[in-house]
Amino acid sequence: MGMARYTLRRLLQAVPVLIGIATITFLLVNAIPGDPARILIGPGAPADAVDAIRAKYGLDRPLWERYLAYMFGVVQGDFGTSIHYGGAPVIDKIMERLPVTLLLMASSFVFAIVTAIPLGILSAKRRNEPSDHISRIVALFGVSTPSFWIGLMLIIVFSFHLDVLPATSLVLPWADPSTVEGATTRLDVLWQAFIHLLMPSITLGTLYMAAIMRIERSSMLEVLKKPYIDLARAYGVPERKITRRHAFRNAQLPVLTVVGLQLTSALGGAVLTETVFNINGMGRLVITAINNQDYQLVMGTTLFFGVTFVVGVIITDLAYAWVDPRVSYDAEAN
Amino acid sequence: MSTDTTDGKEPVKELRTRVAKDPDEPTQPTEASVGWRYTLEQIHRDRTARLGLYIIGFMTGLAVFAWVDSALLDYAIAERFLYHPEQDPVGTVTLLPPFGFENVFGAGVIEHPLGTDHRGRDILVRLIYGSRIAMTVGIGATGIGLVLGTAVGAVAGYYGGWVDDVLMRIVETVYAIPFLVLVIAFMTAFGRDLTFAMVGVAIASVPVFARLIRSRVVSVREEVYIEAAQAVGVKDRNIIVRHLIPNSFAPVVVQATLQVGVNILTVAGLSFLGFGAQPPTPSWGQMLAQSRGFMLPDPWFSVWPGIAILVTVIGFNLVGDGLRDALDPNLRN
Repeated sequence: MGMARYTLRRLLQAVPVLIGIATITFLLVNAIPGDPARILIGPGAPADAVDAIRAKYGLDRPLWERYLAYMFGVVQGDFGTSIHYGGAPVIDKIMERLPVTLLLMASSFVFAIVTAIPLGILSAKRRNEPSDHISRIVALFGVSTPSFWIGLMLIIVFSFHLDVLPATSLVLPWADPSTVEGATTRLDVLWQAFIHLLMPSITLGTLYMAAIMRIERSSMLEVLKKPYIDLARAYGVPERKITRRHAFRNAQLPVLTVVGLQLTSALGGAVLTETVFNINGMGRLVITAINNQDYQLVMGTTLFFGVTFVVGVIITDLAYAWVDPRVSYDAEAN
Repeated sequence: MSTDTTDGKEPVKELRTRVAKDPDEPTQPTEASVGWRYTLEQIHRDRTARLGLYIIGFMTGLAVFAWVDSALLDYAIAERFLYHPEQDPVGTVTLLPPFGFENVFGAGVIEHPLGTDHRGRDILVRLIYGSRIAMTVGIGATGIGLVLGTAVGAVAGYYGGWVDDVLMRIVETVYAIPFLVLVIAFMTAFGRDLTFAMVGVAIASVPVFARLIRSRVVSVREEVYIEAAQAVGVKDRNIIVRHLIPNSFAPVVVQATLQVGVNILTVAGLSFLGFGAQPPTPSWGQMLAQSRGFMLPDPWFSVWPGIAILVTVIGFNLVGDGLRDALDPNLRN
């Protein structure tokens, strides 16, 4: 029961944050000099045409009126329309781009987690041995390398020189085979999706891999020092079992926090990765929206990011209880 | 003893000196400053942290040189001894590879050890002059973020209640907007140049510091010496500035060092997207953006700026990790 109430309370606490996000974005976007209507129809357009567009999108109304109108719309699930995309509903544009970015993020995290957790454990188990040093150097480079540069280097090597991987765009695994170049069956599409995803996932995932590896290592080291590990050893429990059954699970709480926070920051990282690989996802959508002063689209996407962030943090906190049953969500939690 | 631990005796001693004097007057070396000397010694003993310090020192040297030459001497040194970083040279082949390599445009020459860019400018010289942007914006933005974040976090943590609620909700809001998106929106609104990049990145890094220092302050404010200071009538402002912040600062220093690295990466990413130093002023991210069009004929153009960013950020990360080990022996791996 505690968990349901905890979730509800956390969701309620998120409301002011979301209002804040909408307000900050609204003010920022409106501080951008220039006129979105003018941008839309070009600098040479007659003044009455510009006025007509301003009226159509409500840009002629005072700031506070537009703010209130926008907020009332959001409450009712209406994120407005995109001026840059000819009046298309913002929510449609988001839903169109979202699967691409979600796919990119999910595959980056699969890459990050699959590489980081075994390496982190290995590093902790073989502390100060060569494999530990190598893992730590990999992690150091991972957190220090600009992700977009990794992307450029991968393109140079694997697309231009070895010519084995495509350098641009993504293929969605559920796409219709007839729309995908060089694909006739579902299997072809899946294969195309895989090879298109490989480089962008490594590009976006390297930073997260490094961060997760570091926390996994230090968390495992911490747990391996605990008396119950000594006790298990004294009872003659095999080392593999100690790692798997006794140390691993107890070491995952800090790892979970890092994964949760990184997941939400990945939305920002997607901007750069999508630019490098010319992927039409959420990241590029925001940049297009900002560059064209598409107020509603900027606010819609940022708000969407904000909601994802808030929900991500809450899910992370809830996942604590799943990983560590000692965590409870009673009144004093938080 | 690290700066953030307070054993039972120190506060009492501190209290005595404070009661004897005007409570608002600064006293001799505080616990924190003694801790600093120790920390520096530890850093010096740590081989990898020392390497980090050398890297930072080297990059700072380059940045200072580039700044002096560009801002004070109007590129006199560059024109006399080097190549001008911003002007197109006459008679130099564009996109030359590094010395010892060959590409479709010709063979690398020793005069341009790392090759030339798409307008025939020397890449090494542009890298050197690009360092000032990375360093000033990286360090400057972190500095501003640190000061603002510390102030917000300390006030929120010390007063608690509605002050805490309001401040931390604002901080969370800023935190919930993706870093890069926030800075880009900010720069589009106020200006695309460097000053705004710095302010934007600074604002975006406030939450990191505010949350960190608040979490420390909340526990430090329960210490006896804070209660004692309140009892003898020290003003809130002085309690925050002289007691709470110095005693909560150790993890913040570690975070600040690491954050410089993060911010250098952010600034490079912003320049890569066209927000930041505007051409012809060289910056590493912008050089990478320009190189994108020439990756097939001259991949080297894309290699160097990335290495420059990587090395600089590694420097800050090594020092940050060293500081963490020195300040918090419990965390030492």
